[in-house]
Amino acid sequence: MNKPQEKLVGYACAYTPLALLDAAGMTPYRVLPVGREWPDQAGTLLHDNVCPHVKRLVNRARANDLPDLSAMVFMNSCDAMRRLCDAWRAVRPGDKTVLVELPPTAEPHSAAFFTRALHGLSQELAQAGGDPVDDARLSASLDSWQRIAGLFERLRARVRRQEFPGGPARLQEIYNQSACRSFSDTLAALSVLEESPPEGAPTRGLVPVLLIGNVLPDPEAIALFQQSGALLVDEDLCTGSRLFAAGTPGTETDPWNKLSSMLLSKPRCARTFDPTAPLSFAQDVLSRARRAGALGVIAHVVKFCDPYLSRLPAVRETLRNEQIPFLILEGDCTLGSIGQARTRIEAFVEMLR
Amino acid sequence: MMYQYFDTLVTGIENVLANDPSQKSHRKLYALEVARLGRRLYSKTDCLAWCGVVAPFDLLAAMDVTSCFVEFVGAMLAATGASPEFLKEAEDAGFAPDTCAYHRAVLGAGRKGMMPEPDFFIATSAPCTGGLGVMENMAAMFQKRLFVLNIPQNDDPDSVAYLADQLKHMVDFVTRHTGKPLSMDRLAEAVARSNRASTVMADVYRLAEHVPSPVSARDLRNVGIVSALLLGTPEIVSVAEAFRDAFAARIAKNTPGVPGEKLRLLWIQNRIQFKNDLEDLLENEFHTAIVADELNDITWDPIDPADPFPGMARRAISIPLNGPVQRRVKHLVDMARRYKVHGAINPCHFGCRQGTGARGLVAQGLKEANVPVLNLEVDCVDVRNYAPGQMRTRIAAFVEMLENRPNPWE
Repeated sequence: MNKPQEKLVGYACAYTPLALLDAAGMTPYRVLPVGREWPDQAGTLLHDNVCPHVKRLVNRARANDLPDLSAMVFMNSCDAMRRLCDAWRAVRPGDKTVLVELPPTAEPHSAAFFTRALHGLSQELAQAGGDPVDDARLSASLDSWQRIAGLFERLRARVRRQEFPGGPARLQEIYNQSACRSFSDTLAALSVLEESPPEGAPTRGLVPVLLIGNVLPDPEAIALFQQSGALLVDEDLCTGSRLFAAGTPGTETDPWNKLSSMLLSKPRCARTFDPTAPLSFAQDVLSRARRAGALGVIAHVVKFCDPYLSRLPAVRETLRNEQIPFLILEGDCTLGSIGQARTRIEAFVEMLR
Repeated sequence: MMYQYFDTLVTGIENVLANDPSQKSHRKLYALEVARLGRRLYSKTDCLAWCGVVAPFDLLAAMDVTSCFVEFVGAMLAATGASPEFLKEAEDAGFAPDTCAYHRAVLGAGRKGMMPEPDFFIATSAPCTGGLGVMENMAAMFQKRLFVLNIPQNDDPDSVAYLADQLKHMVDFVTRHTGKPLSMDRLAEAVARSNRASTVMADVYRLAEHVPSPVSARDLRNVGIVSALLLGTPEIVSVAEAFRDAFAARIAKNTPGVPGEKLRLLWIQNRIQFKNDLEDLLENEFHTAIVADELNDITWDPIDPADPFPGMARRAISIPLNGPVQRRVKHLVDMARRYKVHGAINPCHFGCRQGTGARGLVAQGLKEANVPVLNLEVDCVDVRNYAPGQMRTRIAAFVEMLENRPNPWE
């Protein structure tokens, strides 16, 4: 249920400009694909061979298992997201549904276009009851975003050192809560956590692993990795660290350009790439694994995710050349599918020991 | 292998036309030009660009670049029956079997040295994400530079200006590689030919609307999407005129494409590329004509030769497979009405998230316009899982249902 006078804006992608929603005085609400088991009817609108994340969101929308939303924002991140937007319009024609252009690359002309798209979103949010966003408000929200990103970075460090009770699973719960909270509430909650003293005795014998992928919001699914003997020393999921990660503003001073730059340069989903360095995503994964001291890398991606499926072979080859074992799991973003992979995860970890 | 294939095709058709001018048909002329393009692609003599589907091929032609979308190779491999080997190559390299087989075939062909080495790549974000992925992989495979055209979803002024600006950046990119600047005069000539060809093709499609239609399933197979590769050239104008004249003649002589035409169908997205008997089945057993293909339509206005970039931008944005599905459905419904179709067939190409991903919404939209849709679960490039018996059964049932419905056009 909404808090009084809270204007919720639904979203489904880690590239959503949460700082802009905050600047408009609106509360972001990430529509997650976990919760109840909604009747599976998405295939009748779309196709069964579409990303299960998208299908589950369609099912959730059809089941009306949503709070009152002032607007629903989709980013033009991939084919599946575009089809989700189409299906959302069909299932919830009364919603204010916005599709924001998101370039796949970050050249200056594309970044400038994205800036204009963000201005357009701001106007749509105003029509949905949001406050007008001026430079000052947006700058303040960008500052809040960067503070949140920093707090999460420090929290992740504590999780890595096993000084945080509940570990990665608890952190995932915090991500999920923060994804549906105002910046001010998130800052308050994270600040309390930051003040709390380190707790917990490290579990010995865990093998350090980097987890990459996209949608895996169920804390129990995250817990499964540690139960299988893996210590997640770093994680790169769009329902995890990528959501609040802030890229660099570079030399931008205009807050709209800063927002555009920070989104396009944040740790990337595989759908974003650098045309001057094809498949450099694989190098990013290698660098991240090395920085984190991971002995192996596990990729968990949802089935039918074309951006990841087309880049994972390069990741595999790059890691193989560096003799870093790599395990690919495909799932449907639920605990059930990851549970089936438990044996594979355990075998992988055992191999790493 | 592919050079020999195309060279043999070219030589064969040229010989037939030289020895027996009465054989000069619209389809042979089209096949000849496509084969010539294929031969140029594999000739190792031209400056070559592998591209995404909505790259501006006429602009590239005006810069003396031989260009083609990579999916063309996937389709050719399927047509020659060779795709399974290359699909397996890609799958063995780790590319998931539930991705688009056009792209997997191309990746496999690249890995096996069957894709001619380009000078550079020009990717387009439309129609699909998978297309971008394959271009990035190919650019890494060949260690060649990659340029990306981000195609916006809508044709509002800002989006058109953005894409027009990108096209100019693309020109600079090509010039850096070829050393040849773009001649605006040559571009204006190419655009004028593109406009002429598009106008004639619009006439061709209008003729196909005739009841009974002058077209058979084979006539316009792949024509819309492949003829884009020839835009800007004199040859495409000749080919378009040949189609127009052939269809006009058939109408004048009351010679329909499918004798005894009983039912008329709209074919959604792409045809099945490997040899199959579905079209024969429809025409010869059920007297059912595929009179329209979703991608056989001119969805853009003539381009101003003096200022072509905005018009080219609008052209790319306008393709049926770009933009919201609601726009796509509107276009399909419009085509259904224009062609007076009784039903539509959607070969739901396995792995096609952008097109097949909207299967249900498309069927729903056409149903609301009283056009039943048969969704065929089939991979248009991978013959390995093709079940002809099942397809036949489904088509027979669909035709029977259509025959027993009141004719919506009477």
